[in-house]
Amino acid sequence: MTVYAAERLGVFAGETPLVRDIGFSIERGECLALIGGSGSGKSVTCLAPFGLTPLRAAGSARLMGEELIGRPERALRAIRARDAGFVFQQPLTALTPHLSIGAQLAEAWMQAGAPRPERGALTAALERVGIDRAEERLDQFPHRLSGGQRQRVLIAMAIVHRPKLLVADEPTSALDATLRGEVMALLSRLRHEEGLALLLVSHDLASVADHADRILVLNQGRIEESGAASAVLAHPASDYTRALLAATPRLTDPAPTLQDPGGTVIEARDITVSFRRAGWRRGAVVAVADAALSIAAGEAVALVGGSGSGKSTLARAIARIGPADRGTVLWRGAPLPPRGRMTAALRRFMQPVFQDPVASLDPRWRVEDIVAEPLRHLRPELGPAARHARVLEALDEVELGEAYAGRRPASLSGGQAQRVAIARAIASGPELLLLDEATSALDMLVAGRVLALLERLQRTRGLAFLMISHDLAAARRLCHRILVMDGGRIVEEGPADRIISAPRHPATRRLVAASA
Amino acid sequence: MRLRLPLALLALILLAALAGPMLLPWRYDAIDWDAVRAPPFSPRHLLGTDSVGRDLLARTLVGTRVTLAVAVAAALVALVIGVTWGAAAGWIGGRTDEAMMRVVDALYALPFMFVVILLMVLFGRSILLVFLGIGAVEWLTMARVVRGQVLALRERPFVAAAEAAGAQPARIVAGHILPNLAGIALAYLLLTVPQVVMVESFLSFLGLGVQEPLTSLGILVKDGADEMDIAPHALLVPGLLLVTILVCLTLAGERLRDRIGG
Repeated sequence: MTVYAAERLGVFAGETPLVRDIGFSIERGECLALIGGSGSGKSVTCLAPFGLTPLRAAGSARLMGEELIGRPERALRAIRARDAGFVFQQPLTALTPHLSIGAQLAEAWMQAGAPRPERGALTAALERVGIDRAEERLDQFPHRLSGGQRQRVLIAMAIVHRPKLLVADEPTSALDATLRGEVMALLSRLRHEEGLALLLVSHDLASVADHADRILVLNQGRIEESGAASAVLAHPASDYTRALLAATPRLTDPAPTLQDPGGTVIEARDITVSFRRAGWRRGAVVAVADAALSIAAGEAVALVGGSGSGKSTLARAIARIGPADRGTVLWRGAPLPPRGRMTAALRRFMQPVFQDPVASLDPRWRVEDIVAEPLRHLRPELGPAARHARVLEALDEVELGEAYAGRRPASLSGGQAQRVAIARAIASGPELLLLDEATSALDMLVAGRVLALLERLQRTRGLAFLMISHDLAAARRLCHRILVMDGGRIVEEGPADRIISAPRHPATRRLVAASA
Repeated sequence: MRLRLPLALLALILLAALAGPMLLPWRYDAIDWDAVRAPPFSPRHLLGTDSVGRDLLARTLVGTRVTLAVAVAAALVALVIGVTWGAAAGWIGGRTDEAMMRVVDALYALPFMFVVILLMVLFGRSILLVFLGIGAVEWLTMARVVRGQVLALRERPFVAAAEAAGAQPARIVAGHILPNLAGIALAYLLLTVPQVVMVESFLSFLGLGVQEPLTSLGILVKDGADEMDIAPHALLVPGLLLVTILVCLTLAGERLRDRIGG
């Protein structure tokens, strides 16, 4: 039975078409995945027919045989309340912080037109999405729940009225790899047990390959390719799909060939970091406990682990841009002073690149000044002319032309901003780059190009990397060794291939299973 | 733009207050012995004169000028103290931050009007003291807002990148933190000015603010209120002007704040 069918579907912003000529249908219990780069129109294709965007939809979209296009707001609301559920990307902000889980779930129920539900029904709804101790959770507030649990609650809210179709717009991209796997498994179970049809927007090709029956590849608002998921992923017909696949590292890719590392450049021992609890209360939270690692010249080491495992805190403590309670860091055998007493000569060797490219550039500075900042402080011997030349050189190396020097961060795309951040990091001529989830906030095509840029820098400059990631496949593409963190400790360490083919620690096994 | 109307009205009032008195034949303290208590629209006095024969239009314009000057000066004092205190608390963090913000909470609890009145009584009345006193009272909200912003900015990766780039803390504050505070500080500056206008008018109304023969909107409202039964326009004109200024400043400040997203 066809649950949802779109024909010649178009979406317009004013008179400008964003999406044109889309056709697909979803059967009961089926999962159709829409994939594509950012701006390809995949989200608006899903949401506009239901009146959830300010955009205008044209063509035809029928849910359970009922036409959606051209219906007034009231009718659409009734159709949504009866037959459709929606899950969005941000589980951390989508719940109201001052209302208990039970209250929000009850509200979702009543919004769908039902009377105020019994407590037992609410508990059952939470159990349906696999939340443990459901009865107790009803009275808890959102901050007590983890990101994965919050996304489960949101799914429970979306399907509480037993819709026929669930539209999930990047439901897992804000979650770490382990949680992604769990949430996708939950959605699959609901499909099989209850015959829910799933319209999934995703850029996570690994989970699409596992969970989707059919795939629709969108590029610039048009269908690039469609077909059975396994067929499209195994034998992509269009160049665009091939580029998407090539940009996404997978664990099944052949092992990369990496240059041989030299002698040890940095060695950290017994690093412990704890944070004082807020307010006057006593006590501290230990974020990193007795961590030790070493990196050789030209070697890339990945630090992987779930969110909250302490990997960023450890890396920042080592680079002396974050707090550390104790521990020593040796740079080529000589101990580094504590954070407040780092000299320019020592700072020059290590430079960071952060996750959110837009937030890591000061919005009020010009690109030229941003890239020149480390030169100004770390290479004071350079005059203004030499500095300008170095800035252009660095911009050129990250494939941005001279034209970008005068721009401000607001006028850059995510990928361009991250290139500027990389240019800033390499401008002073460091030997070690600290890559803190440097590609995970980027769209998959852009992330692939940034990874390729990093690969090239690693080769041409002989840079060593400390790469923080929750993506094992991306880590494997660049890194010789992988260190796995869990609960503030390094629990496993070894060559990348060994970690992936024969994980020993349970935390590693979870990560590998979630990434496969 | 929704900012434009209040700002345009304010500019108009400011222009009138600055240029108007120069175009009028009467000084604000000149007494026209032939036209004491002249009604509005009399041949030589558009708004009439007060009980001692001073031109009301000239007095209203000069009063607006004094009120705005005191308000802007006091708001600037509040800006300097508030930004310094808030930025220091947010940047240093930890226990220092806790202690500094508890000081702000404690000051919030004091009856400030009372403190300002005491200052006036103790040290005599002077415009300088008026705006210093008011400025020293109105910085608390600014300090809270700025501290919140600094706490958020401090965690932004570009600050960590600046530290890795070898910038000293003072350079980071001057180069990254303060410039990014400018928008929000300007919005709250606009919101502080009307509060100060209120305080100044109130003090003048009590006879504790600006001294005769110099005048302010508060004094004019008080003088007008004394004669509202015989000359209601003497109360209405400065009163409406005061309300217009307050509403425009508040609207402009709030809209600017919403636009910046503070």
